[in-house]
Amino acid sequence: MDFLQIVSASKHYQTPEGPPVKALDGVTIDVKNNEFLTLLGPSGCGKTTLLKCIAGFEDLDSGDLILGGKSLRDVPAHRRPFNTVFQNYALFPHMTVIQNVGYGLDVAGVAKAERDRRVGEALELVGLAGFGGRRPSQLSGGQQQRVALARSLVLKPKVLLLDEPLSALDRKMREAMQIELKTLQHAVGITFVFVTHDQEEALAMSDRIAVLSQGRLQQLDTPTGIYDRPANGFVANFVGTSNLFVGTITARNGESVTLETANGRQLRATGNRFQIGDQVRLVLRPEHLKILAPGEGPDRDGSVIQGRIKETVFVGSTIQVHADVGFGRTVILLHPHDNRNAQREIAPGAEVRIGYAAESAHLIAVADD
Amino acid sequence: MRGKRFRPWSALLNGYGLLFLAFLYLPLGLIVVYSFNANPINMAEWTGFTLDWYATIFRGASTEGNFDAAFTESPERIFGVIRNSFLVALCAASVATVIGTATAIALARYRFFGKRFYQALLLLPMLVPDIVLGIALLIFFVGAGIELGLMTIIIGHITFLSSYVFVVVSARLAGMDTTLEQASADLGAGPLTTFRRVTLPQIMPGVVGGFLLAFIISLDDVVITYFIAGVGSQTLPLFILAMMRRGLRPQITALAVLILLFSLTVASIGLILRNRKS
Repeated sequence: MDFLQIVSASKHYQTPEGPPVKALDGVTIDVKNNEFLTLLGPSGCGKTTLLKCIAGFEDLDSGDLILGGKSLRDVPAHRRPFNTVFQNYALFPHMTVIQNVGYGLDVAGVAKAERDRRVGEALELVGLAGFGGRRPSQLSGGQQQRVALARSLVLKPKVLLLDEPLSALDRKMREAMQIELKTLQHAVGITFVFVTHDQEEALAMSDRIAVLSQGRLQQLDTPTGIYDRPANGFVANFVGTSNLFVGTITARNGESVTLETANGRQLRATGNRFQIGDQVRLVLRPEHLKILAPGEGPDRDGSVIQGRIKETVFVGSTIQVHADVGFGRTVILLHPHDNRNAQREIAPGAEVRIGYAAESAHLIAVADD
Repeated sequence: MRGKRFRPWSALLNGYGLLFLAFLYLPLGLIVVYSFNANPINMAEWTGFTLDWYATIFRGASTEGNFDAAFTESPERIFGVIRNSFLVALCAASVATVIGTATAIALARYRFFGKRFYQALLLLPMLVPDIVLGIALLIFFVGAGIELGLMTIIIGHITFLSSYVFVVVSARLAGMDTTLEQASADLGAGPLTTFRRVTLPQIMPGVVGGFLLAFIISLDDVVITYFIAGVGSQTLPLFILAMMRRGLRPQITALAVLILLFSLTVASIGLILRNRKS
């Protein structure tokens, strides 16, 4: 059964000059119970607007929000069973941590003894037991983040909305909080709707990701689905790094297809969605490309691209290789870092043969962009 | 942090700064000195230290000594007008604080038709010359058949004090994080609870500051009050003005110093409150 349905949600903003801007354009998402759903997109894609509309801080122009079969459009923010963790945390500066966390319970008229017990539990849950008497200004960014989480979770909302809650933290703290948030979500069994522009964060934390761009839903899928089978060029470029080749399908034999680019490059791929003559985009992830040893052929029915190494970037576990493959195109691939191998051939200027397996080449219709 | 140095100019600049401070505070210093001068006729001539002038305010003029009874007001009169002034200032500043704060919130948080125009209208009472406002209020009260008295002074003061409170509270609201109110609503609080428990505590320094400002302005307003005060409803500034018509007498300087002390105290309380809240 569907839990929270976002149906053709649309909203526009009036700009001071010029035409209205569509912040949301017919977005439909079925949010499942107990899932970690991420709204991912660049700034201005509408993800925060959608979150505000779910929370009730903004109204939709058209479309609907349905929770358990009932529309939420006429329900004001303070009556919706959702709670929000704000980007800047929005902790009440004039209240202590205990008062902040207990605020929602207090407003709801929960008796003091019960309130104290639940606030204590919530602070325990986020690892802040003993910090109850402090003011928000006496806490670090990460601790404020936890107070904001506790303040929302203590009310046991049906959905917890998180608006880029990790963006103000430094990298180490952010990575720690990513794991913590995911663990927390499993522990409390509450649906999380998480907004971020950081694709690594989205891939690391989510059960499903909704990629938004220019107010439209581009793709809704699991992290691996989004990464391995991007629905269009936008998703392929925004999530992870992609090498894209545009071409026309010239041959097809069962699952195996061949496409030819405008420069006459012949590339093979696997897929059954397309016919001979279709314009397609070939997506190759850097880790699927391999520098072939002399005499070695490409894996499983794949192709070989000739190139010359332009630049190498050592990133620790791998070496990122930028190779010029002719016609002004650069391909990015990841070469395993292994100090027992002679690294001499992986150096700028070296001529290389780059191979890939046909099944790792994903095809997108050009018209889908 | 160290400022820039203007070596050739620094002596000149320091001199200018001292001169300016003297320009500001010399007259005030002079009145304090005069209030302790025993010479009852010519204040500019120092004849010895005395507290007599302060004593006359609280005890009245004694029959012996060099007091000029005709030029000395009785404590009953003085404290009568002080009571009037405080009553007016307290009532007018309180009502103006409520109106000014509510208006500031309406303009800062809501969108409505004619908002800009409304905002301009609110600031106008501060710009309209006092004498015009005074005459206008007088014409209104007389036309409406309202008897002039303390009530008309209070109403008159509310009209322009609300603008001052509005400006002070607006500045505070502009600096407040609006997501705090969203967070309150998000946690289940209705608009009234949000105002009482989140918005008001956040803007309290502005509200208190606006109240104190309104209180002080009301306390020393002469021009508008002059037009709308009734026969039996004199305030302290009007009373001093009336005393001055009979000449500048030492008792007035003592009264002025007491008013100065009171204003400084109120201003200090305001500053202390503001610093403690932020």
